[in-house]
Amino acid sequence: MTALRARLLGVAAVVALCSAHVGSPDVWYEGAAGPYRVLVYVRLPGVVPGIADVNVQVVGDTPDRVTAVVNLFDATAGTPPPDVAAPTPGAEGWYHASLWIMAPGSNSVTVAVTGARGTGEVVVPVAAVATRRLPLARSLGAVLVGVGAFLVAGLVTIAGAAVRESVLPPGASPSRRRVWAARAAMAGTATVTALLLVGGRVWWDSEDAGFDAELYRPFATAASVRQAGDRRVLDLAITDSAWLRRADTAWTRHHRRNAWSPLVSDHGKLMHLFLVRTDMEGFAHLHPATDDSVRFTDTLPPLPAGRYRVFADIVHESGFAKTLVASVELPDLTAGTAPDPAGDDGFFVGRAARAAPSGGSVATLADGATVTWERSAAPLLEGAPAPLAFTVREPDGRPAVLEPYLGMPAHAAVARDDGGVFVHLHPMGTVSPAAQATFTLRGPADTVPGVVGRKVARADSAMLGMAHMSSAGRVSFPYAFPAPGRYRIWVQVRHGGRVETAAFDAQVGAAPRTG
Amino acid sequence: MSIAAALPRASQREQVEAPGRAAPAWPLYAVTLSSACIVVGLLWDISWHSTIGRDSFWTAPHLLEQLGAVVAGVSCGWLVLDTTFAGAAAARAASVRFWGFRGPLGAWVTIWGTFVMITSAPFDDWWHNAYGLDVKIVSPPHMVLALGMIAVELGAILMVLAAQNRARDRAGVRALGGTYAFAGGVLVTMLATLISEYASRPNEMHNPLFYKVAAGTFPLVLVAFARSGRLRFPAAAAAAVYMAIMLAMIWILQLFPAVPRLAPIYVAVTHMVPPSFPLLLVVPALGIDLLVGSALGRRGWLVSAAAGLLFVALLLAMQWFFGEFLLSPAARNYFFAGDQWAYLARPGPWRYQFWGVPKDALGNLDVGALARGLGIAGLIGMASARLGLWWGNGMSRVMR
Repeated sequence: MTALRARLLGVAAVVALCSAHVGSPDVWYEGAAGPYRVLVYVRLPGVVPGIADVNVQVVGDTPDRVTAVVNLFDATAGTPPPDVAAPTPGAEGWYHASLWIMAPGSNSVTVAVTGARGTGEVVVPVAAVATRRLPLARSLGAVLVGVGAFLVAGLVTIAGAAVRESVLPPGASPSRRRVWAARAAMAGTATVTALLLVGGRVWWDSEDAGFDAELYRPFATAASVRQAGDRRVLDLAITDSAWLRRADTAWTRHHRRNAWSPLVSDHGKLMHLFLVRTDMEGFAHLHPATDDSVRFTDTLPPLPAGRYRVFADIVHESGFAKTLVASVELPDLTAGTAPDPAGDDGFFVGRAARAAPSGGSVATLADGATVTWERSAAPLLEGAPAPLAFTVREPDGRPAVLEPYLGMPAHAAVARDDGGVFVHLHPMGTVSPAAQATFTLRGPADTVPGVVGRKVARADSAMLGMAHMSSAGRVSFPYAFPAPGRYRIWVQVRHGGRVETAAFDAQVGAAPRTG
Repeated sequence: MSIAAALPRASQREQVEAPGRAAPAWPLYAVTLSSACIVVGLLWDISWHSTIGRDSFWTAPHLLEQLGAVVAGVSCGWLVLDTTFAGAAAARAASVRFWGFRGPLGAWVTIWGTFVMITSAPFDDWWHNAYGLDVKIVSPPHMVLALGMIAVELGAILMVLAAQNRARDRAGVRALGGTYAFAGGVLVTMLATLISEYASRPNEMHNPLFYKVAAGTFPLVLVAFARSGRLRFPAAAAAAVYMAIMLAMIWILQLFPAVPRLAPIYVAVTHMVPPSFPLLLVVPALGIDLLVGSALGRRGWLVSAAAGLLFVALLLAMQWFFGEFLLSPAARNYFFAGDQWAYLARPGPWRYQFWGVPKDALGNLDVGALARGLGIAGLIGMASARLGLWWGNGMSRVMR
């Protein structure tokens, strides 16, 4: 089979892109499901329709029943019956269900726990998109080519037998002329089959190109720096036609785009923007403002010069969270103005905390407080739950009192040194609280753009007012590193009225091969 | 109608009678029934995907399709081994050679089709992993599977044909001619299902593409049946079998309550979603029967051109207005099963509109563009009919 062989030779590279976050598509959530505390880990299929792996741990409880169901945000005729998650063999307290995600876009996984304390439910938003191209394994390709050759030989033989013998009365022998006609038929069949296989290859290639074109890519975005008075200002502009022409129905119909969905504010901000210098020695967490949802602007903190990767998290009203990616060259700003110390922006310049021999590492904050990464000396592995637990202590060693920072006890940004992975974490996991709110607050009549967004904004500002107290200065982030490599983790807390940042390095190894 | 044209030419030559028992007839019926199982399983599977959605290798419709493939393949495999190693001289005489083995041509085609169906399974599985579940009929792995299914059905047709063409007595010819029409009807159903994304929904019946796709598909088989069948109206009989299978599926599927088990649900379906009402294919098929059976039937190019045009004209006459009826509230009932959509079809006015209708700048029907489209459909129909005639000539001579 020509098409298969060509496929084998020209194996497409796996392209790991992102949905919400960069290179880190899996979803973690830790929080309440009614009276229960759950940890939910959803492994996405990478293609849609595909099967998502839903894993649920009920912390400190033995439930009678755990169920899960997937739905798209705008389904209008009900929800299918949920699947019962079965206990995971070999993983005490964990439950597992395999769920089909049929439609790309903003989906939800609703987990329900039933036990002695009644039933509790939680919605975990999931951005389901095609994120990777799967190469054809050599072994499978070889099998298919072999079987294909066998089938072609069989077809050619059948064509020959049809002409040579099938039209003869029983018992008659084919004439010499008929034998030659059969050979001609076999040659003709072989030629036609070859042409069909070439056609099949062209078809396959075009399907593959179509799939590649539909692979998820965040909006095209450009970042630049300009001087505004005595300030240096960062501009981030979405340059993608899909966003700029979102209200042009003729354009959207022609390009087969779905109805657009406005942006909603996520824990207090429309955008959470992160700057990471390519050597990871400079970092900032900013919140640019916008007038038009296209150009986002913010004052830059005093960062050292260099090339920076820009990761900007936004959430659509559909519940689809995405990370815009850009790059920008910064001039030396270290003499510039520091951000308002009482504001929500934070930055960090310098090296990461050094690892202690015990495995943990301690970073000292600007005000003298310390942040300790509580981990053993065990190596970090891709795909395995990472022990991202940190304790903040006052300079005298007492556990620190943490103030809510944008409605959260803490934030963490995780980046791999090549920029291939970036994720913005909270103690509730990888999910955006606004995305979650779009699902819980959407009513059946909320079909007009902006209605759900207003509800989310109201809930968001209510949440910001609530004081999240962490117990004994301790914060943890449920997460698993998606791939091996060298990572840096910036942990941000509000302490003494200021946003403080601590940096840690992590070397993540490849998962041991199983099976 | 003269059946002289349909008589096998080889039978007019000297017969070489072979002694001993002939090959058993049961594999012929086993393969014919298996091919029907495959088509029914396929229609059931499409309904399953439209209604329940949740898929696995072990769903009932998949099992029916696999059973059909296995029974057909194993029956023919047994027939080939029996003919090769234990066959009487008569059975061996009525067989063709394949890599040292002997068996009827149809058995080889069926075995080949079974292997193709099996091959499509890992290919389809890989495709789902690579590109996502293909919730459509026309995709490369599905076409490999369809090729296998068609080959199994073609094998059944060839086995029946050889028996029909060898039959001497009137009752035998009638019985085998009827079986041939059944096997042919199964193939027509298969082809109609394959093109159903373009040529089954009433919404498509004012779209020139509907007529182009139908003209490329149906004259090929209908002309071949008209030429090689021994019934009075073989093509119409096969078309009637197609309509009967579709109607049975429509009327039976709707009896079974079922709800979607996957999201997103946009249509709250309550029972198995049936296929669209069958095309009224009996009428164009009858026209083709009359044409191919007439004096014109001997003039290959002329009869092909006439058959292609006649097919498009009769299909247009039937479906243009019938499509309007099927879109109307009068068809939204158990009998016609109008306005029934898969659970994941988003609601919208498009359900009640004709799609792809050629229109001018003012939004009125563009008669010129429609006529051009239908003209192209006619040309496609002529080519399809010519190929069908060659194929039918060949099939009318198959003896083994």
